[in-house]
Amino acid sequence: MNGMNVTCSDRDRIFEDGTVAEWAALEAHAACCAICAEEVRAWKALSVAAEGLRHCTADPAFWPRIERALAEQAARKAHRAGLRRWFSFLPELSLGWQTVLAGAFAVILALSTGWVYLHRSPNGGSAGDPSLLKSKALKEVESAETAYERAIDKLAAEAKPQLDNPATPLLANYHEKLQVLDSAIADLRAQAGLNPSNAQLRYQLLAMYQEKQHTLEEVLEARQR
Amino acid sequence: MGTMGLALPWKARISSAPRERGTRVEPSEHFGGGANPAAADATSEDAALAAACRSGDLRAYERLYALHGAKMKNLARNVLGNTNDAEDAVQETFLKVQRSIAGFRGQSSFVTWTYRILINTCYDARRSRLRKKEIASDDAEETPRREPRAPGGHPTLRMALERALASLTRHQRDVFLLYEVEGFRHAEIAGMLEITEAASKNTLFQAKKNLRQILEPPRPGRGAAEIR
Repeated sequence: MNGMNVTCSDRDRIFEDGTVAEWAALEAHAACCAICAEEVRAWKALSVAAEGLRHCTADPAFWPRIERALAEQAARKAHRAGLRRWFSFLPELSLGWQTVLAGAFAVILALSTGWVYLHRSPNGGSAGDPSLLKSKALKEVESAETAYERAIDKLAAEAKPQLDNPATPLLANYHEKLQVLDSAIADLRAQAGLNPSNAQLRYQLLAMYQEKQHTLEEVLEARQR
Repeated sequence: MGTMGLALPWKARISSAPRERGTRVEPSEHFGGGANPAAADATSEDAALAAACRSGDLRAYERLYALHGAKMKNLARNVLGNTNDAEDAVQETFLKVQRSIAGFRGQSSFVTWTYRILINTCYDARRSRLRKKEIASDDAEETPRREPRAPGGHPTLRMALERALASLTRHQRDVFLLYEVEGFRHAEIAGMLEITEAASKNTLFQAKKNLRQILEPPRPGRGAAEIR
């Protein structure tokens, strides 16, 4: 044809990326080569068969569906843009400034958290809960308790002779009652030792001491009678 | 030499086919060199379409649909296997184009970019369909239901080709569909699939070779006779 000479070995290369001239030369070669003729025919057949997969009919009912979806999306976008305008009083900041602001906010947050952590109650108590005692109040309660306990111990020492050798069944009953009270006081003191900020336990302890005080007073009164 | 043809339906189809279809050669069509007024027109129309879509003009999207809607749906149907999924994919593609048009920088043509989105959307849909199928494993349906197509090709041949295409690699199938079925040029396909033109040509060659192997009936005595 144009003097170009192709052989069977050129066939695949021409199939892959042949020029018009090379295709023409291959066709000329195929006229006298049965194998290449069949290969060329089969190669073209694939392209022809591919047409069977083409279905280019425009569906008029499909566009309105797409158009509706596009309009809805555009409306949503416009709505979001409207919301963004509410914050338009904020200055337009560059990415660098936004980073600086974010960093400053993080530092402030970290400092605040640290301050709160350092100034919180050492026993982990919360100011909002009245049943928990703060450290200062706790010291006052404990010192008052100690003084009260010492005073009651003096009272108990005075009543001890009658209680050790009860002359009447009433004194024997008082003795048993005081033993129960001492046992209860010991239990409450142990609990208060584990949970010193619990004001409720301190109130119960105080009630027990008061009961012990009244009982000892009654023992001493019984001696005077 | 005997018949080295493909299965019988092919022959029936081939005889009535236009001869030029099989000899589509790109260099003469697209690499003429110098200024090509038609190509320049297409480029300016593409840019105008992109600009109109960017401005939010729905008529521009309608124009895109008028120009490429049927082709897009056809491609999606060939990848996904049924019309409903294909329509969903095309609609999703239009929505993605609308969402991302602001970021389109014109590195490829607008239409090429749109088809790239379509192909990715189709494969996303395929993956999600496969996941759903895995979850509903009690569903015994193994192969995707393929809907009957409009008359146009030999049904047996078409079905055989569809089955053969399913056994190709994704890349080979994409290039074959885009080139042979949809009629895109290798330069356009390269842009859509983000590969080189040479890779597109080579992939098409491999795809057609594989298709021939799959579709050809086994014939004794081949091979040795062919090699020379």
